[in-house]
Amino acid sequence: MYKNFFLLLLTSFLLVQCSSSDDDSNTMDQTASYDRSKMLIHWVDNIINPAYSAFNTDLSNLDSSTKAFVANPNQSNLDDLRTKWLVSYKSWQHVEMFDIGKAEEIYYRLKMNVYPIDKTWLENNISNGSYDLDKPENYAAQGFSALDYMLYGLGADDTEILNKFKSGVKYSNYLTALVNKMASLTSTVIADWTNNRETFIGSTDNTASSSTNKLINDFIFYYEKGFRANKIGIPAGVFSGGSLPSKVESFYKKDISKDLALEAMEANIKFFNGTSFDGSSSGPSLKSYLIHLNSTKNNTSLSSTIETKLQSAKNSINSLSNNFVTQIQTDNNKMLTTYDQIQTVVVLLKVDMLQAFDISTDYVDADGD
Amino acid sequence: MNVMKIKFLPKYLLIACLSLFVISCSDDDDVVVDNTVTPPSDYTFERNGATSVSYSGQTARLKMANELSSAMNNASSTKSGLTNMFDNGTGFSDATLDATGKKIGNKTFASAVASSTVKPKFDAWITDFVDNVAPKFAVTATNGSAGFLQDAGSTKKRYVNANGHELNQLFTKGLIGGMAADQIVNGYLSPAKLNGAKAGNDAGTMYAEGKNYTSMEHYWDEGFGYLYGLDDQKKPTLGATGDVLLNKYAKKIEDSNSPGIAKKIYDAFILGRAAIVAKNYTVRDAQAVIIQQEISKIIGYKAVDYLEDFVNKATAGVAGSGEWRAAAFHSLSEGYGFILSLQVTNDGTGKPYFTNAEVNTMLAKMSNFWTVNNADLTAMANDIKTKMSL
Repeated sequence: MYKNFFLLLLTSFLLVQCSSSDDDSNTMDQTASYDRSKMLIHWVDNIINPAYSAFNTDLSNLDSSTKAFVANPNQSNLDDLRTKWLVSYKSWQHVEMFDIGKAEEIYYRLKMNVYPIDKTWLENNISNGSYDLDKPENYAAQGFSALDYMLYGLGADDTEILNKFKSGVKYSNYLTALVNKMASLTSTVIADWTNNRETFIGSTDNTASSSTNKLINDFIFYYEKGFRANKIGIPAGVFSGGSLPSKVESFYKKDISKDLALEAMEANIKFFNGTSFDGSSSGPSLKSYLIHLNSTKNNTSLSSTIETKLQSAKNSINSLSNNFVTQIQTDNNKMLTTYDQIQTVVVLLKVDMLQAFDISTDYVDADGD
Repeated sequence: MNVMKIKFLPKYLLIACLSLFVISCSDDDDVVVDNTVTPPSDYTFERNGATSVSYSGQTARLKMANELSSAMNNASSTKSGLTNMFDNGTGFSDATLDATGKKIGNKTFASAVASSTVKPKFDAWITDFVDNVAPKFAVTATNGSAGFLQDAGSTKKRYVNANGHELNQLFTKGLIGGMAADQIVNGYLSPAKLNGAKAGNDAGTMYAEGKNYTSMEHYWDEGFGYLYGLDDQKKPTLGATGDVLLNKYAKKIEDSNSPGIAKKIYDAFILGRAAIVAKNYTVRDAQAVIIQQEISKIIGYKAVDYLEDFVNKATAGVAGSGEWRAAAFHSLSEGYGFILSLQVTNDGTGKPYFTNAEVNTMLAKMSNFWTVNNADLTAMANDIKTKMSL
């Protein structure tokens, strides 16, 4: 009996020793104890699927308006088509970041929103009347930015643009093909989310191939590339010798570049905060995961630092001209300071947040050696 | 018998539990014991009998910087020529540089924490030099007008823009912080960069097929290369021939403000690299902090020196007679580049000693050397000394 007591004492002593030092030195246990499954379910059911569903509705409206316009290419149908294009383009900003699963497999993002377009290639497609939109050489001749060109860039004014659609069927055919392609790609992606929901939400391990880790990586990759670089950095000349205003998103309908960037920023903020797509509720998120881990940076809560910096970045975008081409040509420094604000969050997400989650990045940036 | 078994079982369980915990605890201890770091006497590291150190990209960029610096003071330079050298890495007299594929432009204030607003200043200096300074090489500079300033004590001429800025000095000293220091202290030696390569280093995975080093080893070497890329890897002398950037000024600080700094930095590079080989990331990070702080000090010291030098020259010059401006503007042009560089220093916690905004405030006070206020410059010098404990 005495022996047993002695052993018990010793054991509990060692238990305390081991567990206290573990707590101090890492957060592995806490990382594991956060319910990743609930987070994944919330993302899929309350953010991703509703965002796709709204986008799909907007696309079918775009499709109807396209049919009406093709049947009768007049000013009022053109105006209507442009409105539907803009609504769906904004809606797209809420799904572009989910480049995972089927979307990734079919190069959805590259077929939906590559800019700038290759104008010569696109015009060749139109005049040849034959093209395979699944081929990589046509990525820059389809999607939203191709529609931007078709609806705003075909002529000096609306009369010229309308004349393109009135003289023969080549332009109408291409317009129809583009919209059909966007609709069918989207259906494919949505069907996959429906069919594979269970598998997807079941994959919560902390491994490179788990849904959780991949989606978090995809979000950060999108924030860094699709959002930061494509919308702001590249046109502002951050990665080149000088600014490249022709690379803005929506180059032909120039005065909406800011709206699109703001919409995308809103999507980023909502995803980070775990706000449902309809904005009515919130659930487990990157933010609450960080709060759960008590993650700090420079003695300040990491989650609130990220939230604050996202908001400043958004304010900075908001201070830009609606027309990014004008902004770049008149005061590119303002584009660059906005880029800096966005970049601050890249570091917080990619370094500090991933470290807190004990997740590795699954993509690397080019080093230049 | 049954009673006996039941009585003994808990005891065995306890013993089993106990040994389990003993094992898990000693595992932790093993980690510490296994990666004791023994640094070699110089920066020599080998794997399978061959060197595992490589920083040829940094060597190339330092050579490019040297040529570009001269070209920024040559009246026959063209905008396309300078831009090609800067952004495209081509057009150098050393043709082997063109073939390296390396560029300076995309490594100028390019770390994750540097502001993207700074690189365009370099582009603007190229334009200003070619459009405004180069055509005025034979005209005396005055306030508001580019030209040359004749040095009083020699045949030396300094070529300045309308504000008295000697652009190749702004450019070159700007690169000391913007490329060399930023890439070392905020790029390759940052925990973010190095920790990203942890898995590969732990597993001993080579950087790429046919390479003799892990990514983490290579990152550290690339940091090393921005300081020693043109120096002797095993016995650096500093002031290396052809290195107009950080190496040259490390030498000056070693010989004046901070004797011993050279050895401190070199030893930290050796120990940190050895720590990576031993997978001891605590030791590695401690060395990175030393390097970050010491390299930052080089920039701080030089910023202060040149501000004070200008004030001394201006005071003496105004009181006395003769042309003092050539030498004084030259000093302040160097100071301008070092102050610009302050925003990419690193105090060891990832933060610069001066932010982008603070640096811009200082630079605004130096926008025209002809009318600059000496008291402002002295206040700035004192502020830098205080903040950086110089």
